[in-house]
Amino acid sequence: MKALNICIFIFLISCPKVNAQLKASDVKSFTLKNGMKFLVMEDNSIPNANMYLFFKVGSRNEHNGITGISHFFEHMMFNGAKKYGHNQLDRVEEFNGGTNNAYTTENITAYTDWFPASKLELLFDIESDRMANLAFDTAIIESERGVVHSEWRTDFENSPWEPLSEAVNATAFEQHPYHWPVLGYETDILNWRKSDLEKYFKTYYAPNNCVAVITGNVTFAEVERLAKQYMEPIPAQPPPPLVHNVEPPQNGERRVMVQRSVTTPYLMISYHVPATRDSDYYALDVLNQVLSNGHSSRLYASLVDQQQLATDIGTGMAYSFDPFTFNIYAQCSDSIKATALEKAIYIELDKIKKDGITEDELQKVKNIKLMNFYSQVETINGKSGTIGNYEVFFGGYKKMFDASAEYNKVTVADVQRVANKYFKKSNRTVGILQTNVED
Amino acid sequence: MKKSIKSISIFLIFVTTIYAASGQNKPRYQLPHFDKVQLPNGLVIYFMEKHDVPIISLDAIVPAGAINDGEQAGLASLTGTCLKCGTKSFTKKEIEERFDFLGADLNTYASIDNAGLSTKFAAKDKDTLLPMIKEMLVNPVFSEEDFGKEKKLALIGLDQAKESPGAVIHAYWNRFFYGKNIYGNVVSGTVSSLTPLNANDARNFYKKYYNPAGSAISIVGDFKTGKMKAILTKLFSEWKKTPPVTRAVYHPEAVPGNARILLVNKDDALETTLYIGGAGITRNNPDYLAVQVINTFFGGKFTSWMNNELRIKSGLTYGAGSYFDYNQKTGSFIISTHTANATTQATIDKALEVINRLHTQAIDEETLNSAKNYMIGMSPPQYQTTDQLAGLLVLMFWYGFDESYINNFEANVNAVTVAKANEIIAKYFPKNNLQFVLIGKASEIKPIAEKYGKVTVVELKDDIGKDF
Repeated sequence: MKALNICIFIFLISCPKVNAQLKASDVKSFTLKNGMKFLVMEDNSIPNANMYLFFKVGSRNEHNGITGISHFFEHMMFNGAKKYGHNQLDRVEEFNGGTNNAYTTENITAYTDWFPASKLELLFDIESDRMANLAFDTAIIESERGVVHSEWRTDFENSPWEPLSEAVNATAFEQHPYHWPVLGYETDILNWRKSDLEKYFKTYYAPNNCVAVITGNVTFAEVERLAKQYMEPIPAQPPPPLVHNVEPPQNGERRVMVQRSVTTPYLMISYHVPATRDSDYYALDVLNQVLSNGHSSRLYASLVDQQQLATDIGTGMAYSFDPFTFNIYAQCSDSIKATALEKAIYIELDKIKKDGITEDELQKVKNIKLMNFYSQVETINGKSGTIGNYEVFFGGYKKMFDASAEYNKVTVADVQRVANKYFKKSNRTVGILQTNVED
Repeated sequence: MKKSIKSISIFLIFVTTIYAASGQNKPRYQLPHFDKVQLPNGLVIYFMEKHDVPIISLDAIVPAGAINDGEQAGLASLTGTCLKCGTKSFTKKEIEERFDFLGADLNTYASIDNAGLSTKFAAKDKDTLLPMIKEMLVNPVFSEEDFGKEKKLALIGLDQAKESPGAVIHAYWNRFFYGKNIYGNVVSGTVSSLTPLNANDARNFYKKYYNPAGSAISIVGDFKTGKMKAILTKLFSEWKKTPPVTRAVYHPEAVPGNARILLVNKDDALETTLYIGGAGITRNNPDYLAVQVINTFFGGKFTSWMNNELRIKSGLTYGAGSYFDYNQKTGSFIISTHTANATTQATIDKALEVINRLHTQAIDEETLNSAKNYMIGMSPPQYQTTDQLAGLLVLMFWYGFDESYINNFEANVNAVTVAKANEIIAKYFPKNNLQFVLIGKASEIKPIAEKYGKVTVVELKDDIGKDF
């Protein structure tokens, strides 16, 4: 076996076991003349590599009538271009020992390729072909519409959280396009037109709207040469229109009920919070971990274990370009009303608003973040994903190397401050999904 | 998501290794060196050093799965869950707070034929956490209070799981396919089987089945093997060997003599969730790898025949795939997909057509090579992390294969010829008397189901444990 040579990013300065410390300068970066940016990390631990392409387009770029088209477009990117026709892209990639996937969020669409490192040039050929020359065949669009409709249906069939989160977002956001779901409305899924797709492609799938991250057993020089050969000839396009809608401050609690036959009620509470780039992000993330990470967390220990009001509870805050939400999710225990669980959650939030968190809790979050970081850098895929997210959502991949300092700067007072600032009744939307909504 | 086919992810978990890209002069990756010791109490421990990231993963596997449940379905699962609910030396709260504070992962569980513990922590925390891990495996207490809480969660969980047909179809399949065989036991139990259980049942189950002889631990990560051997030998020598127990006997399930359909009625179903399958293989079958090669092009990758026909060409579903679901002593073959109520028949017909094609169409070199390249190319990322490697080592112990599986993987995959492929298809891929599980709206799809065989209708809200 070849000696492993994985470098790791220094995360917390106190960490004693980091064998090789990777600096921000070890992620090499270049930008092509057409504006496409590349971030490259050499890693020869396995004979594989990946290529992640982050396009800055998601459901926030849509409008009524074409909701869900970003996600549908993600599917169409696999349905044929000039050189690699319908089904050829996947066939060729799999024949060569690789595979791929993609995902769409409110903010971005990401394409992920995994392959033997020796196939790097093939992947450049495939990716440049579809970025430059995507095909729009009417029959294929109709077939793929069936696939997306099935995806929409299976999400609803299998998760009560889908209809509930859709209702909560539609209530919390009245003006900003976070109002509609990433998959779109069923009636839009059934009515997108070919011309909508063509317009979308030209506007958003331009090299200047894309960041590529490549990690694996490749060299920076090889990547740069291939990028110039395959990607640079693709012309830049005018910058996409800005999303100008700003959600006005919420000035009163909003509540929404959803009917569905379920064992016990589902509860979702959403507070408006700033975008990921805001300086409050780190304190809010500490709060997020303290509330729900592990069985000793505030909400799980109190509501699931001690009071047995909930069967499970979680909190989360997705990466976003625009101000989004901090969400609390919970499922009621047997015979417990959603409002009783809701009240008990507020009691826990109020304790933090009044007394803050402990130094021990703050240290715990720092330990959790360190372990998360180790898990991310154990794999080439974790590295590409993390680099890409920092580049896109935090204002630059170099921020990844500031993360430890940012978490270390957070004090118990900061956490108490953000709890008081955002966990206000007037700033929340409460959604309840249950069987009986008539009483 | 473009695609997230269950069968593909399952496939990747089990059929993977570490390799250089074909045709390149890069060094071939072999399974890293590991040491193995057996303690006087019979416990086998594997040690593999990995120093690139300062973390450690530990897995334990114990022959205490749900096949031992007898009439107490769900007992193995609750016993496994409650390993972390307090020990002689540490309360549940102490365990949870310590693991959480250190950012460590901890999971204890039981599956159909084994139980176990999985954990991942920072290497610097080993002296704090290893004694706790030992206590969970060797001295759990199963207090009435904590057992009662977990039982209550498990009972509600049974009904909550049914809110997602995809989460429960496998349990229906096992019950339907294996019948009264011990592999048909319902791992999570049923309302009627869980209700009478108490902490003493868990204590008895633990005493009977948590024996160091027949169990294994793997530890992978940033440590020195010599020192770690001393630590674990001292800790786990405390695990007292118990007398061998009489276990429920596995009687091979009867080969189905006719096509049967289990239709699980869900009145408000938006779609039909379905399995089609038959007999499978065990993990230690000498043809295991060749079977995986065939399944890769049949239903194990995105451009597989099954996904190509049901999704790519027809848009009938978001995903369709197939896999061999194996246990220690038996296994089944499953085609898995879902489709709108109205396209249920078209989807089943198309799936059956693809099965028929596998048995009638000559397999060409290109199809075979695509599957081989895919398996070889996709394998290295599956053994990058300490938890992946720790998981591999206990599976090697449990299923009785060794490092040659990894080290000869590429050669053995490439050795599958067209002639061999045809033999494998005829021998292992079910064709007749197929078994079906459909979860959907019976009022709409029962007449369709009846076209394929004998239909039994049950209600989703009822216990899975009924005789089918």
